Amino acid sequence: MYLGKTVEELHELLVSKKVTPLELTKEAIEALKKEETNAIETICEKEALEFAATLVEPEVDNLFWGIPYVAKDNFSTKDILTTASSEILKDYVPVYDATVITKLKEAKAVLIAKSTLDELAMGGTGTTGHKGTTYNPYDPTHTYKIGGSSCGSASLTAQGIVPFALGSDTGDSVRKPASYAGLVGFKPTWGRISRYGLFPFAPSLDHVAYFTRSVKDSAALLEVLAGEDLAHDATCSVKPVEKYTEGLTGDLKGKKIARIKEIDESVKDKVILEGLDKVQKALEEAGATVEEVNFDQKLLAAVYPAYMIISCAEATSNNANLDGIKFGPRVGEASSYQDVMMNARTNGFSELIRRRFVIGSYSLFKANQEELFLRAQKVRRLIVNKTNEILSQYDAILTPCGGIVRNPFASNSDDVSDRLDIHTIIVENHLGIGNFGGFPSISVPMGLDNGFPFACNIMTKVFTEKETLNIAYAIEKKLGLKNLSTMEVK
Amino acid sequence: MNFEAVIGIEIHVEMKTNSKSFSGGPVKFGQEPNTLVAPLDMAFPGTMPILNKQVVINAIRVSNALNMTIDHELWFDRKNYFYSDLPKGFQITQDKRPIGSNGSLTVKLSDGRLKTIEIERLHIEEDTCKQLHLDDITLVDYNRAGTPLIEIVSRPNIRSGEEAMKYVETIRQIVVFAGVSDGKMEEGSMRCDVNVSVRPFGSDKFGTKVEVKNLNSVANVRTAIDYEVERQTKLILSGGAVEQETRRFDEKTQTTIMMRKKTDAVDYKYFTEPNILPIRLSDEFIQNAIDTCPELASSKQERYTSNGLSDEEADQMLQNLLMADYLDECIKVNPKHTKLFWNWITGEATAFLNKKFQSFDKFKVTPDNLEKLINMVENGTLSMKMARQVFEVMCEENKDAEQIASDLGLKQDSNEDEIKKIVEATVDEFPQAVVDFKAGKDRAVGFIVGQIMKKTKGKVNPQIASKLVLEALKSR
Repeated sequence: MYLGKTVEELHELLVSKKVTPLELTKEAIEALKKEETNAIETICEKEALEFAATLVEPEVDNLFWGIPYVAKDNFSTKDILTTASSEILKDYVPVYDATVITKLKEAKAVLIAKSTLDELAMGGTGTTGHKGTTYNPYDPTHTYKIGGSSCGSASLTAQGIVPFALGSDTGDSVRKPASYAGLVGFKPTWGRISRYGLFPFAPSLDHVAYFTRSVKDSAALLEVLAGEDLAHDATCSVKPVEKYTEGLTGDLKGKKIARIKEIDESVKDKVILEGLDKVQKALEEAGATVEEVNFDQKLLAAVYPAYMIISCAEATSNNANLDGIKFGPRVGEASSYQDVMMNARTNGFSELIRRRFVIGSYSLFKANQEELFLRAQKVRRLIVNKTNEILSQYDAILTPCGGIVRNPFASNSDDVSDRLDIHTIIVENHLGIGNFGGFPSISVPMGLDNGFPFACNIMTKVFTEKETLNIAYAIEKKLGLKNLSTMEVK
Repeated sequence: MNFEAVIGIEIHVEMKTNSKSFSGGPVKFGQEPNTLVAPLDMAFPGTMPILNKQVVINAIRVSNALNMTIDHELWFDRKNYFYSDLPKGFQITQDKRPIGSNGSLTVKLSDGRLKTIEIERLHIEEDTCKQLHLDDITLVDYNRAGTPLIEIVSRPNIRSGEEAMKYVETIRQIVVFAGVSDGKMEEGSMRCDVNVSVRPFGSDKFGTKVEVKNLNSVANVRTAIDYEVERQTKLILSGGAVEQETRRFDEKTQTTIMMRKKTDAVDYKYFTEPNILPIRLSDEFIQNAIDTCPELASSKQERYTSNGLSDEEADQMLQNLLMADYLDECIKVNPKHTKLFWNWITGEATAFLNKKFQSFDKFKVTPDNLEKLINMVENGTLSMKMARQVFEVMCEENKDAEQIASDLGLKQDSNEDEIKKIVEATVDEFPQAVVDFKAGKDRAVGFIVGQIMKKTKGKVNPQIASKLVLEALKSR
């Protein structure tokens, strides 16, 4: 029984030949078949077992040798069905591997499944995939969300079936579900990891991100995934990849960390504020000073509308290739190319997606662009400037991931925003700042409330992943909330 | 009332780079459909654009040739629309910041007048795929998808079909000589859309413009515009009004035919391409692109005329890049023989290649060897007639000219002593010629020379023979 172990632990077992990659893979696949949260699009059983069987001689210096993992179903995987949890791609089998899939293959990690997501990664509820709702494994009553859009990857990691899983993060799609699922969710700097092969939602905001159950695993995984990709992704940085694991000292002497007043004030559940105070104490014990700073309530409230406009605008363009001519099924009788496209897109996308495309198109129209799209870009710039201003005086910003520990299905992230109060808008959407500015941002568990985990978030300057990870490591170390899974907590 | 035409031209030039604008897909023409397709060219989800450096270099070279301001920062935008030939559902182009702006091109008209045409912008973009519409299906070939394009947009200060034709012709020459494109309008590697309107002379308002497409030759640009100007003028004079529409040139009738009325323009929802961050171009990079540009026609023209060709002769050479390249190689061997090379190239060499349906890149005769042949004529070793015989062999296999001449036994006798003997003997044979000559009949000289050539099968240098015959007759 090897489920529920971290990469680090599994590596020890593999190297000492207590277990083989094939045995690990078989066990994980059996667990996948029994899992009950509707987290899987495709189990790559044949491919995984074949690959695992080739892994015989352990590689001592390669932490990921023989480690099973899952990838969100919006990563292009050669010859393996990749649906993005959308009807329009339900039969799509890519011809190439995403760069991160290639890198993990080279590291000899074993891809065992493609996981569910909110359709095309657009959404934060885990409810809009074409296979229906993905549930939170911490909640057998199916009352509370795991969040999205990387819902399947979050669930499978939280269940201990895999020690890590790939996701993508455009607004908070890894870092928010990480909070609801008790995981470490890391989104490094925009451009640190190649996005080649990640189905685009909004490229200026999209990040490859991932879940682990320990900060150390998270640091080790970045060493594998980061780095230039000159042939495929021109936005990917050529900065050298650092030894992130070597930066994990837990020593924060001299570090200054900011808490944002307006965000903390917007928190609803008292237990979250208590958690943050505990984190603050932990940080201080590790040598850091923590201070409260003002951001600007108006700017924070503008994160959500600016995010919606920019992401929807980019999304409508990125998904224009799904037109029924190359991708997507031909539906019904069509007498013109317009009919082909109209039928495919009307049937292939859910109502929520179509709504977002309309919002995106509308804000890009010549007549509206200045007022909507360009204004949203200006707001984005102001928010990023403000964040940089704070980060010029502080090493990191500490925030909660959201305002409530448990998020019931009854609420909907796509609700018209004037129906929501300003505090909800701020506290539930501020993680998008990390996407606006491409800042490295990590969610780390900070507490459990009636068996439900919840996390805080650390954000630092761009390309300071070593810093982000070390602060997260200090928190994990002090709070002792490492390697949470439903196997342990339930 | 007198009218003047207001004409603006948009030219799309397909580049002949090794790979596409934003993918590694190869660029080649006339290949099996759908065999030159990288995942990006078909817009596979998750693919991202990587800008082709050569495309930028090419755009800089053409911008420079068109006297444009070159932007030191590259920005790309998405032009969004749905069409079955557009794989991504958007085209990557440069809307807000074209790489080249505010240029001009001066062309020479047939009456000798110079006309400067202003150019608004030059930008980099990518081609769509090719569609083949059959009865009830449409076939799509993605080979062309993503092929690099530059679009050159003139300002509407062109005033006649001739100006337009010269403008297009000169741009064609620039892109061909700069090595950017093969510039074949008939094959669509250079495509031209013209906007034509007319207005009363002196008016500063524009008339309603009509767009004319499908101009697949330089000559058609002129024909179509002349027709369109006349059509619009007549229409207005007869009390009608020009409607805003798109027309196409019809080769058969040499007229323009209505395709569609212009309805409201499509909203392309332009926005900055998020997957290509702005790229800074250093002064060195730009200067290097310009400095390493293959020589343009205008510079070759100057060089040729300074080497003794007439304007017309130089022009003729510049109609064909490969031919001009060949001449350049020859000039390197001996610039003093430019005109003689020109004679051989435009004469015998062209005739030979035409017969074989080949172009100058397949021409076997090396410039060195041609120079040798020219020298043999110059020093009297070969007559022109002999040289042509030798040349014929050289065209088939580039053997040494002297060797061929000797193999064929072709050698003109220029040894005066030898020739003198033959002359004396021949004059002896025909005493009547001496009588005629003394009687003032100069044709006696020609007669004797003719006899000598006959006797020697033309191997005697005719100039020397004539000189000696004259001397011999005088001395009798």
